[in-house]
Amino acid sequence: MVCNRKFSLGFLCKNIFLAPKPITSPVPEAWYPTLSVVMLAIGLVVTASFFIYEATSSTRNRSLTKELTTGAVASVFLANLLAVGRIGFVGLQLSMR
Amino acid sequence: MGMGSRLDLFLLTIAILSGTVLSDLILFKVDRRVDLTSQVVRVTSTLKVENDGTNSVSEVLLAFPDNQVKHLAYLTVTPNEGKGKSKHSANSFPVEVVHPKDMPPALTFYSVSLPKALGKGESSTFDVLAVFTHTLRPFPEKITQADIQLLVFQDSAYFLSPYAVRVQSLSVKLPDARIESYTKLENTKIHGSEIKYGPYENLPPFSYSPIVVHFESKQPFAVAQELVREIEISHWGNVQVTELYNLNHGGAEIKGEFSRLDYQARPHIRGASALRNLVARLPPRARSVYYRDEIGNISTSHLWGDSKKTELEIEPRYPMFGGWRTSFTIGYSLPLQDFLFQSEGKRFLNITFGCPINDVVIDTLIVKVVLPEGSSDISVSTPFPVKQSHETKLSHLDVAGRPVVVLEKNNVVPEHNQYFQVYYKFNSLALLREPLMLISGVFFLFVACIVYMHADLSISKSSASYLAKLQWDEVQGAVQQVQSIINRCLAIHDKLEVSLRDLSRTGDAQSCKAARKAADASLKELTKELKPLLGFLQSSQQAAQILPKVENLVAKEKDLQDRLLAKHSTVVDCYEKKYGGKEIENRVAQHQQKINALRQEVDDLLDFIDEI
Repeated sequence: MVCNRKFSLGFLCKNIFLAPKPITSPVPEAWYPTLSVVMLAIGLVVTASFFIYEATSSTRNRSLTKELTTGAVASVFLANLLAVGRIGFVGLQLSMR
Repeated sequence: MGMGSRLDLFLLTIAILSGTVLSDLILFKVDRRVDLTSQVVRVTSTLKVENDGTNSVSEVLLAFPDNQVKHLAYLTVTPNEGKGKSKHSANSFPVEVVHPKDMPPALTFYSVSLPKALGKGESSTFDVLAVFTHTLRPFPEKITQADIQLLVFQDSAYFLSPYAVRVQSLSVKLPDARIESYTKLENTKIHGSEIKYGPYENLPPFSYSPIVVHFESKQPFAVAQELVREIEISHWGNVQVTELYNLNHGGAEIKGEFSRLDYQARPHIRGASALRNLVARLPPRARSVYYRDEIGNISTSHLWGDSKKTELEIEPRYPMFGGWRTSFTIGYSLPLQDFLFQSEGKRFLNITFGCPINDVVIDTLIVKVVLPEGSSDISVSTPFPVKQSHETKLSHLDVAGRPVVVLEKNNVVPEHNQYFQVYYKFNSLALLREPLMLISGVFFLFVACIVYMHADLSISKSSASYLAKLQWDEVQGAVQQVQSIINRCLAIHDKLEVSLRDLSRTGDAQSCKAARKAADASLKELTKELKPLLGFLQSSQQAAQILPKVENLVAKEKDLQDRLLAKHSTVVDCYEKKYGGKEIENRVAQHQQKINALRQEVDDLLDFIDEI
């Protein structure tokens, strides 16, 4: 009977063939800081191009699809700003208390 | 003291009066070890049970007086395999409270179910560990800062049991300090800081002989009146544990003043039993550990870790004497893969139940496990009985709130720090809900921008300035289109140049001619496109300023085009006639000069128009 000595769960020894599989996050954790910076940079670049397009093209030349796609791509990359920024904001709150 | 002695007399009379013989078991040998070195009293009794009768017996009764049972925090019975007994063996016998008939009152009985029934003449040995809290009373109850803390312990020298006992002995282990007084019965010996009573032979059931031990203890009594542990799981990678403590010193209360000078000059004489620091053993790879209270961060702490554990040593803001209290929060986060597992379609969290600080007695322990939103089918499995309830918590990016399982237990000792599991079902796709919410939020902002740019917010649709603005927009559009056409023409010119260079490299005149043909065709098309735009610009009033520039640009571009085509045909001709490189250069020299100049001017004009 092979019991994993890492956790002292006697009852788990019965399901030796179904030794529990640890669950991790879908994105490897070590990448979190790098990934968030890269995605943020790309998101800002795409946002900038969106606004430049809005500002320079005149009414007749605008194409709605191009606007919408640029906006969608930018929001995908920018969403991580809010996610990561939220964690940072909470951390700031806690450290200030 | 009065209450205690009255109870003892009562029990003595019970012992004399009761003649009930309970089944046919006898306790052959009883070894009791009482450990008084810390604030909880640990009584380990090794019982050798023998079946003297004819029926096979599968139940053994243990008796405790009612006033002791009030403070009983943990009771476990494990088999004793002789010398090499395992510490946390999983095969402890099930114990439950029973109420047998014809028993003396003021006693509580626990029934231990043996896995294998004892036949006639068989015997078996097992260990009973009972942990009692709040049984050591400080006496005197109030001491000054310089006094030593003295405690009183009361128990019986004889093992209280419904069966007759052949041989029994009791050994009381005291902390390494002064022993003030102890009851001297027959067969009492003292070895250093251990008192041995016994062996006593052939005692009837329910025999009771009270003993009192009065001794000094330097142990601070850390008692947490309430501990709230909140364990929050996030599927994105970590388990966050927050523990809120309300701690007080449950030993002898301090009377008189507290002198900080005395305490710091001679801490072990003035303040021997003060609570100076607490050591917490956190799981390995704990990170972001913080220690703070309502004022803010407390910096008197040390953290060091290795692969088996992370140790956190904390000092409260002031040394705690008897009767004083403090409250603080400890928080840390743990990696998800050490604690969350998946088996049989359900996920479960496997984490310790009690408090990680050594040697703390908790009056009320509340463990809250916060599961991510979207968890369903929640069930809990604990190694000892707890009170369960449910609530919800609203947190970041929550729609309905996260389900919280609340487990409550009273009278918790360090032996309760065992693993427990919380099972739940979670759909993996539900992980995406949070990022999708964020993405749609940001996308809404962009759509708002687009709508704003497209919306026509002018109040009067027929005013002169509005119409002028409309016309200017159209002119701008036309000019931009002209620009793009000219850029395409320039691109074609570049392609022609490239083909010429290819020719000089490979000498292939045919491909050059083909390129020329293609260029001709596309240039014709572009000229056709240019015509209506130019016409519109000429007719529009707003374009009056820009029109000459645009016409200039178009003319120059045409010129450039003609010259380039001329140069191209000359070069191809020369190749066909197989002239040398020098000659070709001479012929195209003036064309080339003009071409360069024109190209420069076209570029300048384009830039100028851009800026308008």
